[in-house]
Amino acid sequence: MLTIAILLPLAAALALFMIPSLGARASRGIAIGVAAVPLILLAVVAARFFGGGAQPAFVATAEWPWIPALGIAWRVGVDGVAIAIALMSALLFVAAIAWPIRLDREPRHYYAWMLFLLGVSLGVFLVLDLILFYVFFDLSLVGMYFLIGRWGHGEAQAAATKFFIYTLLGSLAILLAIIGLALSGGGPLSFDMRTLIARQPLGGVDPRSSLILFGFVFGFAIKTPLFPVHTWLPPAHVNAPGPVSAILAGVLLKMGTYGLVRIPLSMMRETVAAYALPLAILALISILWGAFVALAQRDLKRRIAYTSVNHMGYTVLGIAAAGALASGDAAARRIALDGAVVEMVAHGLITGSLFLIAGAFWQRTRDYDLDHYGGLAGVAPRMTALTIVAAFASLGLPALAGFVAEFQIFAGTFATWPWIAAIGLLGVLITAALFLNMLRRLFFGDLSKERQDFADLGRTETAILSVLLGLVLAIGVYPRPLLALIGLGSTPIVAER
Amino acid sequence: MLWLPVLVPIIGAAAIFAWPSERRIGLGAAGVAVLAATLALSVLAATQGWNAALEWGGPLRLIAMLTPLSSIVAILVPGVALAVVLYAAAHEAERGLRRLVALMVAFAGAMELLVVAGDFVTLLLGWELVGACSWALIGHRWRDADVPASANDAFVVTRFGDLGLFLAGMACFAATGGFAFSSLAVMHGPALGVVAAGLLLSAAAKSGQVPFAPWLFRAMAGPTSVSALLHAATMVAAGAFLLARLWEPLHEVAWFGPATMAIGLATALAGGIVGFAQFHAKKLLAASTSAHFGLMFVAVGAGFPGVAVLHLVAHAAFKAPLFLSAGVAEHAVGSYDLRRMRVGRAVPWTAAVALIAGLALAGLPPLGGGWTKDAIVSAAEARQGLPLALAVILAGGLSAAYAARFVTLGFGLGEKHQLTSPRAAERVGLGLFAVATLALSLLWLPGVEAATARLLAADFPERSGTGLLLSLAFVVTGLVVGVRGVRIEFPGWIAEWFGLPLLIDRLVVRPAVRFAESLAGVDDRLIDWGVAWTSRLAGVIARLGDNVGERLADLLPHGSARAVSMTGLKSMKLQTGLSHHYYLLIAGGGAGMLLLLFLWR
Repeated sequence: MLTIAILLPLAAALALFMIPSLGARASRGIAIGVAAVPLILLAVVAARFFGGGAQPAFVATAEWPWIPALGIAWRVGVDGVAIAIALMSALLFVAAIAWPIRLDREPRHYYAWMLFLLGVSLGVFLVLDLILFYVFFDLSLVGMYFLIGRWGHGEAQAAATKFFIYTLLGSLAILLAIIGLALSGGGPLSFDMRTLIARQPLGGVDPRSSLILFGFVFGFAIKTPLFPVHTWLPPAHVNAPGPVSAILAGVLLKMGTYGLVRIPLSMMRETVAAYALPLAILALISILWGAFVALAQRDLKRRIAYTSVNHMGYTVLGIAAAGALASGDAAARRIALDGAVVEMVAHGLITGSLFLIAGAFWQRTRDYDLDHYGGLAGVAPRMTALTIVAAFASLGLPALAGFVAEFQIFAGTFATWPWIAAIGLLGVLITAALFLNMLRRLFFGDLSKERQDFADLGRTETAILSVLLGLVLAIGVYPRPLLALIGLGSTPIVAER
Repeated sequence: MLWLPVLVPIIGAAAIFAWPSERRIGLGAAGVAVLAATLALSVLAATQGWNAALEWGGPLRLIAMLTPLSSIVAILVPGVALAVVLYAAAHEAERGLRRLVALMVAFAGAMELLVVAGDFVTLLLGWELVGACSWALIGHRWRDADVPASANDAFVVTRFGDLGLFLAGMACFAATGGFAFSSLAVMHGPALGVVAAGLLLSAAAKSGQVPFAPWLFRAMAGPTSVSALLHAATMVAAGAFLLARLWEPLHEVAWFGPATMAIGLATALAGGIVGFAQFHAKKLLAASTSAHFGLMFVAVGAGFPGVAVLHLVAHAAFKAPLFLSAGVAEHAVGSYDLRRMRVGRAVPWTAAVALIAGLALAGLPPLGGGWTKDAIVSAAEARQGLPLALAVILAGGLSAAYAARFVTLGFGLGEKHQLTSPRAAERVGLGLFAVATLALSLLWLPGVEAATARLLAADFPERSGTGLLLSLAFVVTGLVVGVRGVRIEFPGWIAEWFGLPLLIDRLVVRPAVRFAESLAGVDDRLIDWGVAWTSRLAGVIARLGDNVGERLADLLPHGSARAVSMTGLKSMKLQTGLSHHYYLLIAGGGAGMLLLLFLWR
């Protein structure tokens, strides 16, 4: 089932490339239809987790041999953490593909690349083989490179190239670390994640383990991105089309933090525990850096982009707290990890929505400068209302998903490092200031002459945002199903051995 | 079941927002109906002992419960909101009225959530939702450029306080593994100290205590009825309520009581002076709100949370109609400047209500406001002796002075203005508060006092005759000074919280913005510069390789090939076919070999 979820979009992408002379409407229709299939399949798989009874950590597993001599195989399967992120990603892809966008050239190819990116992104979250993970992780760069470079605006080519080269550097570090990890420990060579989780091939803080951990952290930190390797993010976002930005922020950034949870946190817990504090400090710097720098931006998209550095900082802080074996008790580590995973889901939905809205701005005015707006609440009430909800969700207002995430992360972190949690709270304050400032400059005050005919969100746009933000509200009010799902995956990760 | 008083107004607000008509009567009726239902549910909840819980998963468990103290506030909130919404539906501008009514109803719902909270997660939910609602309400007239900025300011300042609540919740979890208030009982030492500090911070910010007091002035950008609601029963009330609610587990922390009293007293005195120095009707009342919540802080800090809650109730009953009457006067003269009002002749009904409420604000017996204020004086005396009691009495005198100034200037008998009299609904709203204020006078009756103490399960302090007499003397003096000295003008910076807003702007806001800008500069130049420099270096290496390296590399195959082919061509020339050339070559070669051998040795 998971194999179909990965391969079907890839096959459809290939088909779209092959069929000539297909119009924009038809391509979009096909793409929406195809993208809905993985979403349904994943929902069916997720339902299995609620079946009750004892279950293995990974369900819906399947395996076909590929290169047996090296222990590489097509292995798929999900735990509670992976399925939560994969579901969010699949939904966000449907939303991004369905989002109405005027494309200057080759709409057919645009939708084909979107489907390609959907397939490889799901691949990252659904596979259980490190080499496959790496392959999909890298292929996601390819899809994103073409989407930004060909359909972006401004200095799209340069931004796409910077994104590609920068994150490729990270991938190479990951590849070396994967090989190093697989060659460590006893037993036959295997890239099966389950085997490596059980084997825990590395222990302690010897140079070899430290170097391998550094490779993973460096690679995933670029993708996440963490300070100071985040500077590829703003140009990539600013120049990408809105829906592509939504995918970049909502799905691709999650690969970094998901990777941290899946590989180092699960497979080399002793080494992670030794370096948990430095990782937490790095996350803390990212939280504050992202918030402050975002506050100073006057470009709508750059501002939202930097809040991603802030929010992903929360996620990594939760992961670091979950990894602090020595000082944290199991309940606190569990709540920190749950919070981190909820943050991934919440950030995907919330920042995805914000970037779709930013795309709507570009579509209408070709202008991201906050100072060129004001008073839009009068002419675009729907856009105002939905942006307010998204902004408040992003600043962590209770009863919306971001709060559930951030509160858990901070509570879990406080139990381990009270001072880091206390300083990190400042980020919550700065994000409030920066989002309220953004709302004021966009929607309130005087409406300028040239914005008199600013069009409100259309029916499709409103519907898509309502679904995403409705989910944000649902998670914020009653997160129990999501937390139960995530808990099935996080419990074994933080369990004492 | 206890979720009902929370859910009914919130769902009702959504329904009102979707209401098809913008007509005043319909909106007012809908708002009042929802709030009446909420009020009935709250009374039921209090009498039937409802509670509720909602599992979120893991240690996150939302708990709703009522204590005797919170029952009173849970009933107060929809009651005040009902009368205010009734007034608002008649009074406020037609444009955006539907949004205004819906948000005010939701505001009450969020406040109910805060009041019924039995754990930190629920508390934070209500606490921050109240903040968000007040943001939307303060910014109601968003077309005016300054108004949304004020709303943002108010939200950010109070959110700074909210961080204290985050901190308290986190400390509770770290120490006990849960978030329930009941687990505070088993906490001790520094962990409980963190909880106390966090709660005090958030309560002080929410209740407009120094140094956070100026946000209440910014909040005046909202419509009058919003101010009335915000100061009487929601938002600002949350701070003092929270301290009263959690006094029991927190009083173990040695510094908590004195710190609370210190903050409260400082605000009560400073707010009294600011109030007396103000000529802006709403700002005068706002400063007075800070001051009176300061008195509640003193009561809690002295160990009498029941007294604080009673003063909260009395304050709601007299402060809301004062705001509402200020709104009527503003409609009459088109300004909130007290020096231009004196509308008593034109709106006698409103003036009468303002007089009653003003005397209650002054703390004049036999009004209920006098009883609660004197209870605070006695509480201060019981805890810290006469000096603290005197300070509270002085704050009471200041309160009398600005109350007299407000009523005299606002509703004195000046020249006859040409005005429209307030609508019936406005008058009913005002009248309800006047009745409540008068009804609270019953507190002076010993039987009622005892019954109230039983109802609240609270101790009241011993009254002392001297305290009461002194207090009365200060109130009368204050009233006289207020009426006689209506023309006294103070320097502007005193009226604006002694320049505190300017100080905060210069010392906190601007440096923070500058810091953000410089970080953004560093981000663009320094950090990205490293990356750009690396890529440029790669470019340089690539070009270097292209120019020099490739040529060097080419030299090997090309050079050797050329050497071989040249040798070939050259050696072809040797093939002359002339034997003497060959002999010469052989001889030369032999000589060369000999020479080589010779040299080798």
